[in-house]
Amino acid sequence: MITRRSSFKAAAGIAAAAAVGIEPAFAADKVVKIGINLSLTGADADSAARVANGAILAIDEANAAKSVKGYTFQYVKFDDATATAGQYDPAQAATNARKMVSDKDFVAAIGPQMSGAGKAMAPILSWGDLATITPSSTNPDITDPKFAAQYKPAGKAIYFRTVATDAYQGPNMANYMCDVLKVKTIFVLDDSGAYGVGIADAFQGQAEKRGIKVLGRDRLDPKAADYAAILTKIKSLNPDALYYGGVGQAAVKLMKQSYEIIPNVIKAGGDGIYGADTLKGVGFPAVNGWYATNAGPHVTEDPKAKKFTEDFNKKFNMFPIDYSITAYVGAQVVIAAAKGLVAAGKPVTRATMHEAIGGIKLADSLIGPIEFDENGDVKNKIISVFQVKEDKSKPVDDVDSQFKYIGVAQAVS
Amino acid sequence: MTSADVWLQQLINGLSLGSMYALLALGFTLVYGIMELINFSHFNVFMVGSMIAMLTLEALGVVGQETVLSGFHLASVLLIAFLVVMVTCGGIGVGIERFLLRPLRNVKGPAAMITTIGVAYVLFNVVLITLGTDAKNFPNPLPPIKFEIGGAVLRLREILIWVIAIVLMGGLTYFVQFTKLGKAMRATAQDPDAARMMGVKVDRVIMMAFFVSSALAGASGLIFGLYYNLAKVDIGFSAGLRAFTAAVLGGIGNVPGAMLGGVIIGLIESSAGQIVGTAWTDVVIFSLLVLVLVFRPAGLLGRVAPNKS
Repeated sequence: MITRRSSFKAAAGIAAAAAVGIEPAFAADKVVKIGINLSLTGADADSAARVANGAILAIDEANAAKSVKGYTFQYVKFDDATATAGQYDPAQAATNARKMVSDKDFVAAIGPQMSGAGKAMAPILSWGDLATITPSSTNPDITDPKFAAQYKPAGKAIYFRTVATDAYQGPNMANYMCDVLKVKTIFVLDDSGAYGVGIADAFQGQAEKRGIKVLGRDRLDPKAADYAAILTKIKSLNPDALYYGGVGQAAVKLMKQSYEIIPNVIKAGGDGIYGADTLKGVGFPAVNGWYATNAGPHVTEDPKAKKFTEDFNKKFNMFPIDYSITAYVGAQVVIAAAKGLVAAGKPVTRATMHEAIGGIKLADSLIGPIEFDENGDVKNKIISVFQVKEDKSKPVDDVDSQFKYIGVAQAVS
Repeated sequence: MTSADVWLQQLINGLSLGSMYALLALGFTLVYGIMELINFSHFNVFMVGSMIAMLTLEALGVVGQETVLSGFHLASVLLIAFLVVMVTCGGIGVGIERFLLRPLRNVKGPAAMITTIGVAYVLFNVVLITLGTDAKNFPNPLPPIKFEIGGAVLRLREILIWVIAIVLMGGLTYFVQFTKLGKAMRATAQDPDAARMMGVKVDRVIMMAFFVSSALAGASGLIFGLYYNLAKVDIGFSAGLRAFTAAVLGGIGNVPGAMLGGVIIGLIESSAGQIVGTAWTDVVIFSLLVLVLVFRPAGLLGRVAPNKS
């Protein structure tokens, strides 16, 4: 958190530097802010820290290299999780969005992490004309033209993504389970959140289309401790597989209890269960065998991301996850947009940035070419599939080692 | 699994849940019976109990799911854990009573109840700041013994929970009914002034009630951890609310009522999950509570309190 006092100190520092005449160009730099809104505390805190650091790395790199002439970027972290919710809280997300919108120095934002938060933030950002790039929230409604009146009331696309949506994540996984895992019958659960219900619905629709028999659908209360009742019911129905749409809070308890009650059922979820929170909270052996997807290409183990991974590890002393990279690329998009504006002789303001981000074309990033469609969705949509398989030689929370990358799930044709 | 097996399994699930709710409900009922105070801090004394239990087990060398103990070693580890948890939680309860509630004893109105809500939040935030909000992998020293009854599975942990719950509830009933202090408690519950005139040390009785109820909350925290292999900062509110409902359902202030209420809520939770789906569990539980209160305002086993003017 950057307090008023610390920014004052920074400003004083810049002024002092200017007075001594060390760095006259720096003194003239205009400081613009980038908000980073994630669920920094609560059930998803661990992934949030890794995602935030991805964006921070890109911003620090840009500042160090002075890649945008005349401008210095300052990031401000916002936490949309509250103690009462135990995870992201839409009301807090809305408050954060208002804070950013009310400060003219914010020219763009990274986040949010969660779709439930995104739904609360999108209309406020739209009226405030502040573009945000989400590295991980995948609920399709927010960018769906059907819901334009709700999520972009001011008209233009405001919510950009460097990940695919659950309109791909759920259905592609249904294809994978049908084609590769040969699943014939399934039970579907969600965690009553925006993301969880959306991805489970999308999954279920495609599963039914592919002829998988859905034996039942139920909704978990993420705050309840006991899912034995529903798991016993699932056991009695004897499905080939269980699909869970939701985030960590319910997932941890569901995974622990399903290991006891339905050990032989194939179990899968979306990107809500892909992360160190799940590994640490559930622990081995209960977490073994779960499938998870990610709404982007798997790059942390890719040779071209080697430098990124090393820099990240050195700077933050932790491993990046794939959404650290989508956040990194998201911040790169913001910086590239500002660079384009400066090159064209335009000022970097919220309105110009909004325009520039919408029209951005990055020929190559760590996750491939980046270009947004008219709704704000990334054009290059890839869903990666993982399965948890314990690697005893590595730390429990080493996501890359414990979640084995299997491949890309077949897209819906 | 045949349908009979499913119901047997749901019965096992429901009884385990019910035992935990009952132990927690007893704490609400004990304090309410004596002081007519709903002690909301009980929710989070329970949560703190599960955290202390986790730290104790880890200090005893049981970490994660891989350290499985058996025989004498297991029994002694569990005994130590129960003692540590019950004594510390009992101590927290006594502290809350002595320093925060006693000064308010003669203040009319909801001040004391609001104080307990405040204490609940303080406990919550202390754990939040020191241990974080992530779900903890609660150590599980129990060997994976299970018995198959038809298609239903009865695990050692369920049997253990029932046994511990029955022992604690039996002990409490004995304590309240047959010991001198228990008699003093019942006397204080009926009429504190008359009890004082008969030589009952009311302050000591109230402190004892807080000690016992908080110790039970700590014990259920440990049981919760052993059963779910999970400790988390927010478990107090969901489990606590159900337990409080159980106490009201059974008749708040009534010890057997709390046990009955706990078991009923546990069974409803598991059968509602089977019949109408977990999304509806709360609707079923609270509708039933409302119905019971309409026809029996004092709860299933409760009697309308005598006028204490």
